[in-house]
Amino acid sequence: MNEADFKELKKGGMMRQAEGGLFSVRLHVTGGRLSTKQLRAIREAADRFGRGEVHLTSRQGVEIPNVPQDSLSALKELLAPSGVGVGVCGPTVRTVTACQGCKVCPSGVIDSPALAEAVDRRFYGKPVPHKFKVGISGCTNNCIKAEENDAGIKGWIEPRWEGPGCTRCGVCEAVCPTKAISKSGTGEELLIDRSLCIGCGDCIASCPTGTMREENRGYRLFAGGKFGRVPFLGKRILGVLKTEEEAVAAVAAVLEFFRAHGKSRERFGDTLRRTGFPALESYVEEKGELP
Amino acid sequence: MTTPVLDITGDVCPMTFVKVKMGLQKIAPSGKINVRLKEEALKNVISSLKTEGHRVTNVSREEGTFLLEVEKAG
Repeated sequence: MNEADFKELKKGGMMRQAEGGLFSVRLHVTGGRLSTKQLRAIREAADRFGRGEVHLTSRQGVEIPNVPQDSLSALKELLAPSGVGVGVCGPTVRTVTACQGCKVCPSGVIDSPALAEAVDRRFYGKPVPHKFKVGISGCTNNCIKAEENDAGIKGWIEPRWEGPGCTRCGVCEAVCPTKAISKSGTGEELLIDRSLCIGCGDCIASCPTGTMREENRGYRLFAGGKFGRVPFLGKRILGVLKTEEEAVAAVAAVLEFFRAHGKSRERFGDTLRRTGFPALESYVEEKGELP
Repeated sequence: MTTPVLDITGDVCPMTFVKVKMGLQKIAPSGKINVRLKEEALKNVISSLKTEGHRVTNVSREEGTFLLEVEKAG
């Protein structure tokens, strides 16, 4: 087997180990969720073809290490009936990570596992100039660390203030973690600085009169993040996306932009530092059919 | 009858929540209680009061603390 063959195997999720003749097989996991049926199949595969152990990856994935090269296809066949596919590596759209989302977590704003499934169905394993990671946090507590990803998404609540009925008690101003709310010079109006607002909704939850309300509840996109040797936090782009469809369309347009402007083996954040973030925003607004 | 005052300025979550709940148990439905608290307890205390159907009818500041006028659910 030559280097080109190993590269192809790696793209298909089978990574040659430092220890000769052995492979670590990456499995296709979305949002860190596996059924018990799948877990049983993985156990069987690791017992039969590996050394009876699995590795939990840094991004909610599972790998079966110590698989001899001549067992790779048998391992794939054993896993297939349970719906566990083999993962991907190389310059592709990688594992989509997600928290438990609003159906499980009381803090959740969006159904992050559902969005992870939708993004995975459309883009997983698709070729891009360099590895591309998507992570989805159900709210701005951000357990998934959206800004570490090439495309990160967070559940977001955007507040709106309604004057009539407000007693100017100052609770919203006091609870805001980023001091995004302030009284106008005369003290009559409340001003919300959208660039500072982090979409947590604390002002709405604690408003005694109900005059601080939800303007939008949805998805907020962050682009160009990475970790590795030179970490960079993704930057917020676009407004609040209102539906799962809009969020998927935005990710599709972001990937198109990366394919059009990214150089081979250049991470998305580095592409964006060349093109500037506004170029991405106008492209996505146009292509993503967003409001 | 004067409105009872519950001081939770020395407490942290979840004791702030527990003490407010116990304070409300001692008064009749639609009755009033004042709660003195620190800024960091504002969000959790008010949001849990709202969730349980009580009303915060007034908020005032006094020397680094807040005083909430709370009306128990009817």
